[in-house]
Amino acid sequence: MDELQEILQDFLVEAFEMIEQLDQDLVELENRPDDLDLLNRIFRVAHTIKGSSSFLNFDVLTKLTHHMEDVLNKARHGDLKITPEIMDVVLASIDQMKALLFSIRDTGSDATSGINIDPTVVKLDAVSSGKAIDAAVAATPAPSPVAEPEAAADEPDYANMSAEDVEKEIERLLMERQEQDEKRRQEKRANGEAMPEVEAPREVDEGQSESAPAPQAAPQAPAPAAVPAPKPAAAVAPAAAAAGGDAAAAGGTTVEQTIRVDVNRLDHLMNLIGELVLGKNRLIKIYSDVEERYEGEQFLDELNQVVSSVSTVTTDLQIAVMKTRMLPIGRVFNRFPRMIRDLSRELNKKVELVMSGEETELDKSIVEEIGDPLVHIIRNSADHGVEMPDVRAAAGKNEMGIVELKAYHEGNSIVIEISDDGKGLDPLMLKSKAVEKGVISEKEADAMSDKEAFTLIFKPGFSTAAKITNVSGRGVGMDVVKTNIEKLNGIIEVDSQVGKGTTIKLKIPLTLAIIQALLVGVQEEFFAIPLSSVLETVRITQDDIFLVEGKSVLRLRSEVLSLVKLSDIFGIEATMEENENLYVVIIGLADAKIGLVIDRLIGQEEIVIKSLGYYLKGVDGIAGATIRGDGRVTLIADVAALMQMAKTAHKKVDTTKKATAAIAQAAKKTEPSDYKVLIVDDSKTDRSIMRNSLKPLGVTIVEAGDGVEALGIIKNSDHPFDACLIDIEMPKMDGYTLASEIRKYNKYRNMPLIAVTSRTGKTDRMRGVEVGMAEYITKPYSPDYLMNVVKRHTNLTVEG
Amino acid sequence: MSEKLQDVIKKQQKQKVQPLKKDEDTLQVVGFNVGDEEFAVSILNIQEIIKPIDYTRVPGTPGYVLGVFNLRGNVLPLISLRLKFGLPFAKYTEDTRFIVVKNGAQTVGFVIDKLTQAFILRESEIDHTLDMQSEQEGLIYGIGKREDRIITILKAEGLLKREF
Repeated sequence: MDELQEILQDFLVEAFEMIEQLDQDLVELENRPDDLDLLNRIFRVAHTIKGSSSFLNFDVLTKLTHHMEDVLNKARHGDLKITPEIMDVVLASIDQMKALLFSIRDTGSDATSGINIDPTVVKLDAVSSGKAIDAAVAATPAPSPVAEPEAAADEPDYANMSAEDVEKEIERLLMERQEQDEKRRQEKRANGEAMPEVEAPREVDEGQSESAPAPQAAPQAPAPAAVPAPKPAAAVAPAAAAAGGDAAAAGGTTVEQTIRVDVNRLDHLMNLIGELVLGKNRLIKIYSDVEERYEGEQFLDELNQVVSSVSTVTTDLQIAVMKTRMLPIGRVFNRFPRMIRDLSRELNKKVELVMSGEETELDKSIVEEIGDPLVHIIRNSADHGVEMPDVRAAAGKNEMGIVELKAYHEGNSIVIEISDDGKGLDPLMLKSKAVEKGVISEKEADAMSDKEAFTLIFKPGFSTAAKITNVSGRGVGMDVVKTNIEKLNGIIEVDSQVGKGTTIKLKIPLTLAIIQALLVGVQEEFFAIPLSSVLETVRITQDDIFLVEGKSVLRLRSEVLSLVKLSDIFGIEATMEENENLYVVIIGLADAKIGLVIDRLIGQEEIVIKSLGYYLKGVDGIAGATIRGDGRVTLIADVAALMQMAKTAHKKVDTTKKATAAIAQAAKKTEPSDYKVLIVDDSKTDRSIMRNSLKPLGVTIVEAGDGVEALGIIKNSDHPFDACLIDIEMPKMDGYTLASEIRKYNKYRNMPLIAVTSRTGKTDRMRGVEVGMAEYITKPYSPDYLMNVVKRHTNLTVEG
Repeated sequence: MSEKLQDVIKKQQKQKVQPLKKDEDTLQVVGFNVGDEEFAVSILNIQEIIKPIDYTRVPGTPGYVLGVFNLRGNVLPLISLRLKFGLPFAKYTEDTRFIVVKNGAQTVGFVIDKLTQAFILRESEIDHTLDMQSEQEGLIYGIGKREDRIITILKAEGLLKREF
């Protein structure tokens, strides 16, 4: 009985593996209905499962697969053209086959599954006898596929046999085959040949042997009894033999030497490697200490050699063990062609899925987690992204929408890109929708860049779909994506162009157990930040920090990032003096980014993640701990939690300086002459025009002949200026440079800078805005106009 | 000396002399001082006792959780029993030790002021009545007497219970 159980196990494992491949093949078949190789492959799956299930007495499954086989066989011989309708029937039957297999796996029997296969069988019969499916379903079952009029001439035996006879014949052959196999095995054993005890591939061999003796013979070439008496089965043989070369090649891959290993054992191995990595780190640390102390000693060389060889081997070992846990992402991708196919039929759209990089490998645990998010993203692309065919045609696009799924490695991460050529995301629409649903406030919406607006799709409760369809629109899916990707410490990037399409990029670390981390110091404490979440590090000064609505922000190139001190998040008391230079680590997770202010950057190190255990589980902001080379414990920051905590821990990064500047500016101004305006222009005429224009205001005017002089005046003045009129074209230092220099001073951060220039080009104006010009006045101007501008910007309320 | 007291002393001396019967219900414990009081934990729950080593502070935890430390590659939490029992913080002395207590799969280190000794108590000598009134419910197993000292026997599962 045990033997039977073993066979059953093998059968199930094999069957599920085949089914995985089957889905993909079937969808491909619809695109290339004439591909004989594909047809043969699909036929063989149905056939193999039928053969094995009849052997194991699964009658329901046998019956179903038998009828499937009929249809596929006809298609294989060109007697039947695969149409989408026929495909639907075949796919439905495969679904039932899967359900039966699940039932067998769970209950050990297919009779108790409660799955009624009769309607499907009727449909299959109808297909194979060439009738319209609906008609056949309406009419009572007409089990007459026996008399096949289109039977091919070169296989009379097969065509003339009743289904039952064929089955018997096959069973007989199967038995014969097994006997032969057994005999051959014994022979081999007798010959003293090592017989690899790999059960699973044997099952395949047997399965194939029914339909294709040729490929069976190929891998075990010199077996004399390999070709069975070609009786009626020969009818099957030639067709399969045509694909013999391919099948042999395919057979070769299945026979590839593999063993199945319990995942727990691999996990244990990974843990041990983790210890080794820690040991290695420690060794390297000790070596550098020793090197310092005994510089120039002979034994250092030897020690160096040992240390570096140990560390190389450890790294290699770690990679090797990591690889054993790696699975190709194709495992996850496999289900998508079928999904897209079903979706496009359901939505009446034309969508094609283009996949690449299926062979890209990543950790098993990640493969398991990544499936769901991808399902949601792809559904979204098909449902919201790709338009209806007529809309596409009207927009001058190909009616067939393309969803592209790409996977590739990038450094220590794997990148999965999902792009569609659909209608794209409209940032304005997203913002207004988000405001309408109360996801963000109007103020927030205004401050949002397009890129930030795209990430709105990940907010819970947010959906752009006008109506809720079967497929999407409940505003849950993309939130799931975000949570799952966060769990994996991944990063999401969205890029979109209205009318052109949307690309979603997922960046996920390769493995979860041993990671690269950035070590940072805050006061006297150290923390490790997973490098996969670190976007970049920048060094800034206090002056680079702006205050927006009481929050500290950093302007980094075109982006505005909120800043938060790690010491505020973790409640670390400031015992050490603060540096003028601050380090900011920009961390990104899923769709969000913030800047973490730290005191010191220590460096990059490979760390092994250790759990804090039950007692300290779930401490906010801490993902775990690691042991460093010196034996001390360093905590690993939980980037997702940090992002959350940053929202509440938002203290002003710089309070003192801002306060003094504010006080200085708020100093009482009673007279118009208390207001100081700086005029910078290289032409004396222009300066006097400006001075005369401003005279009626009564403000104090200081003049400078060029940028350098102006900067000197600004630096050394006791009283801050209230406004600055700047000409753009000046010798030594031009107006743009001057403006950006002035902006570096904290107290002049908010001083209005007004450009007064004869340059009128759009790019000039843009540059003016970039460097922080509040107003751009082109010469010539009327005195009143200039006066009003200055008045407005200085908030001059006192009358002279 | 009153008769009563003499009785007690006699009894205690008897105990000392009397060898423990094999089938008698006993509890072997390790005693230690925290502040002025003496406590004990069943020896079966003690994995090891080590001299103080460096630890790393963990933010967002109550004050008595000092942090985590590295015990031969395992990261364990470190709890100050002084702070947990509401006593003021004290500097480490020569006698300060970390007691590593294990209960099931959980292991936690505790800072104590001084080890006293390991000894065996009869189950019948342990007074369990206090347990009910104790504020730290579930923390105290019972009160044991030893010579002239009163020893609070702590429960490992109570010590290792997370209270935040």
